[in-house]
Amino acid sequence: MKKLIALVLALVMVLGLAACGGSKPAEETKPAETKPAETKPAETTPAEPAAPEQTVLKLWCIATESDSNRPAYLKAIEEYEKAHPDVKIEMEAFENESYKTKIKAAMMGGDADDLPDIFFTWSGAFLGDFVDAGKVFCLDDYYKPYGDQIPEVMLANTTYGGKHFGVPTTFNIVAMFANMDMLAEVGWDHVPETYEDLTACCDALVAAGKIPFGCAGKETWCVTEYLEPIIIKTIGYEALGKIFAGEATWNDPDIANAVTTFQDMINKGYFDPSGMALGNDEVKANFLAGKTAFYQNGSWNTGEINDASFKPAVALFPVMNAARSTYNQTIGGPSDSLAVCASSKNVELAAEVAVWLGKEICHYNYLNAVGLPAWIPDYDTSSLKPLLVDIADLVASCEGMVLFGDTAMSADPAQVYLSYVSQVYGCEIDGDGFVAGLTNDLG
Amino acid sequence: MKKLYSNKWQILIFLLPALILFCGVLIAPIGASAYYSFFDWNGFGEKTFIEFSNYRELFTSNAIGFMKALRNSLLLAALSVGLQLPLALALALALGKGIKGERGFLSIYFMPVLISTVVIGQLWLKIYNPDYGILNVFLRKVGLESWTRIWLGTKKTALGSVFVPTLWQYVGYHMLLLYAGVKSVPPELREAAMLDGATDGQVNRYIVLPYIKPIIKISVIFAVTGSLKSFDLIYVLTNGGPLHSTEVPSTLMINMLFLRNRYGMGSTIAVMLIVLCFGFALLINAIFREED
Amino acid sequence: MRNKSRTAQTLIYIGLVLWALINLFPVYWMFTFSLKDNAEIFGDNVVGLPRHWLWSNYISAMKTGKMGVYFLNSAIVATATILITLAVALMATFALTRLIWKRQKTLNKFFMLGLTIPIHASIVPVYVTLSRMHMLNTYWALIIPYSAFSLSMAILVCTGFMNEIPRELDESACIDGCSTWGIFFRIIVPLMKPAVATVGIYTFLQCWNELMFANVFISKSALRTLPVGVQALSGQYTTDWGPIGAALVVATFPTLFVYIFLSKKIQESFIAGAVKG
Repeated sequence: MKKLIALVLALVMVLGLAACGGSKPAEETKPAETKPAETKPAETTPAEPAAPEQTVLKLWCIATESDSNRPAYLKAIEEYEKAHPDVKIEMEAFENESYKTKIKAAMMGGDADDLPDIFFTWSGAFLGDFVDAGKVFCLDDYYKPYGDQIPEVMLANTTYGGKHFGVPTTFNIVAMFANMDMLAEVGWDHVPETYEDLTACCDALVAAGKIPFGCAGKETWCVTEYLEPIIIKTIGYEALGKIFAGEATWNDPDIANAVTTFQDMINKGYFDPSGMALGNDEVKANFLAGKTAFYQNGSWNTGEINDASFKPAVALFPVMNAARSTYNQTIGGPSDSLAVCASSKNVELAAEVAVWLGKEICHYNYLNAVGLPAWIPDYDTSSLKPLLVDIADLVASCEGMVLFGDTAMSADPAQVYLSYVSQVYGCEIDGDGFVAGLTNDLG
Repeated sequence: MKKLYSNKWQILIFLLPALILFCGVLIAPIGASAYYSFFDWNGFGEKTFIEFSNYRELFTSNAIGFMKALRNSLLLAALSVGLQLPLALALALALGKGIKGERGFLSIYFMPVLISTVVIGQLWLKIYNPDYGILNVFLRKVGLESWTRIWLGTKKTALGSVFVPTLWQYVGYHMLLLYAGVKSVPPELREAAMLDGATDGQVNRYIVLPYIKPIIKISVIFAVTGSLKSFDLIYVLTNGGPLHSTEVPSTLMINMLFLRNRYGMGSTIAVMLIVLCFGFALLINAIFREED
Repeated sequence: MRNKSRTAQTLIYIGLVLWALINLFPVYWMFTFSLKDNAEIFGDNVVGLPRHWLWSNYISAMKTGKMGVYFLNSAIVATATILITLAVALMATFALTRLIWKRQKTLNKFFMLGLTIPIHASIVPVYVTLSRMHMLNTYWALIIPYSAFSLSMAILVCTGFMNEIPRELDESACIDGCSTWGIFFRIIVPLMKPAVATVGIYTFLQCWNELMFANVFISKSALRTLPVGVQALSGQYTTDWGPIGAALVVATFPTLFVYIFLSKKIQESFIAGAVKG
């Protein structure tokens, strides 16, 4: 008898333990699931008494508390939920770098419950890899109600095989922001528009003990925000676009010249040497605090820089080779997008919501000056921040644009490319080494 | 008794939870990794069988830089055995002899072990900050302006700067292990030697060290495999940069899996890591056996 | 001779104190800058005590950073991991050291393989398994892998302790009519109490630090653990050091307080593991 009881006890114990993998989680995780209710309100919209037929859509994005896109996301979601009380959008925001890990692991794991319904993605190859694997839902039918409210060119980066898979939430270019107060101290009343002027201005700044540029070496994409504009201003947008698309090789002596230009600027002390160890936020903070005179980065920074304590101005990097390029060419395009998981249980609703949200996030991003409109504005734009109007003018006169290199290229070549870019910034290789290495590794 | 303890079913029941947990979480994934290491696969699309190409590429391609990452972690292992352990041993010997404030020192030295690695990483990021970090501020204050560096941002100093907190954090861990050994030396042995006129150094050399050899062996194994496995602190401090100068196999693996979409290659690195860790553990065991 | 040894003694003391300072200083600095604003941290008061004690940094860390929630999550995960590891390891060790069957040694070596396997090497396969079992985004997604990775060390420690329990106890219990389970629960488990603390400490060290699994397996922000929380917060406040410092303190000091009160016990248990393992 005793033995029997012991055996039963033991079985209970074993089952209890084994059940960690089986039935138990359902009840055991309850405390975990109730907790969000207590802490959520700050994260998403307040938990209302849920109507029984309410559909919940999960949205994953990178709009964390410090992200300038966050207000637009919250506002768009709030409006949608108000108009559709039967739909609840649960937004989870992740820090940029860890998001890449998360979304890829989720796509690999592949279980519908662990994937969001709608997810943030970069356009180009990042989304393309998921599309190729059949993980993304085609949005063609859901764009129909919107007619021509979004120009086809804005969808080009999320179109694969003639089908639309993404909704752009903003549109950005690389721009050169300047602190006019600092420039005035060395006798400049406008942003230099030729390379000779730019070097003269930088030399004057260096002579006055000031640092012209800041560039975050810890995040290589920030280096591309400097290098790519120089390259496009040397070889032109058509040639660069072909290289990024893999239709041409890197073997172009003018690219080596562009790299040399960049490294000349570094060697002449135009760049803050601390930048190599800093992240983008820190470099931006240095610019906003008046430590550097210029900051070349995406137009999503416009709002913040517009409100800085100094007089800001914006321009494009000057032309390096007039035979191949013009001033009105730049790096940029719609990259940040929303997409819908093909495995979503409410895939049709998710698609409808994604397109709607994309349009509205774009709307509020524009009004908040954290991006330019990919969708044609159908709202009042008279109160835009002045610096944003300047950038919009630059875009309006734009002749050609090439998407950010690391977004345009697929994951593996993009990392190879970034690795060479960081070697350029560290002056480990020269222009010829850059061209030879990329030609060799990427063909 | 013997009959009672030989019941096959009971044995199985006692072992089952451990076997399920161990095989499910450790062994099966290794099997999966070994399998995927023979494929060219991005993790979600079509996969192609490519035999040993991943392994070949891993050891020959400069673009991947595995050999460099491996060199870095072997260097860390060497420093760990050559610097961290001797320091830990010296502290353990000094404290184990019985000294005033022994307990207090012990508690302080073990403290960093209890702090989360991410916290240590964030803290050292602040210490190394080129503009406001305490290290450069200190150097400037004492007039060594020329010694200031962009510690984590320059290829020359980054690796060393990453190693310092890595080694520092676990000195206490090894110190306490070794201290335990030193304390377990029977006092009679020590006294007898002292009566024969042996100095402290001689007692340590001829009595204590041979006695605690098994613990030293464990410490060496932990130090070496720990170095090969190191990830969190490097991930927080530099994530392998600048210019891949602080890359170790683990950071490279995560890079392959999640940034470069090369799941097959990531699995290959995982397999190599396990083989290396296991190989070194066996090697260290063999070396210590040889000495006996 | 005596003089010489006194000098040596002093030198040893200087060395010990120096190393103690090296260990204490970062913690002190972390505490002081958690109460300063950037002007003080970056200005002339780098190492001194804060001039104005800025407790608002802590409010930022707790409110925006939700460090309290993360700490609680970490504590729940760590406790459950320790309990499960302990139960599983005790059972397995009993079978490995007491019960009579062939290949005990082989299986023991098999479990010891786990000591050398890097946790990151299994991230994607484990993710897929957890996903299939619908366990992602629950505490179990961390508890189970952490337990598995702590198991080898726990078995190693438990083996040391269990071998010291005299086998005569089993014999006499058997004669008294105890079953195997009776012996396990009534004789062995109560005598293994010292091992509990030791296994607890080693397991704690293993799972308190872990970053990568915690980042990938948990999506709900309300379930995040400390390492992920600290990492996310410092991403948000890159240039505002005060709240980061506060978050680091919140993540560290509770453990340190427990440690200060229990340091003797903790050290002894840790040491027991070293000697017996």
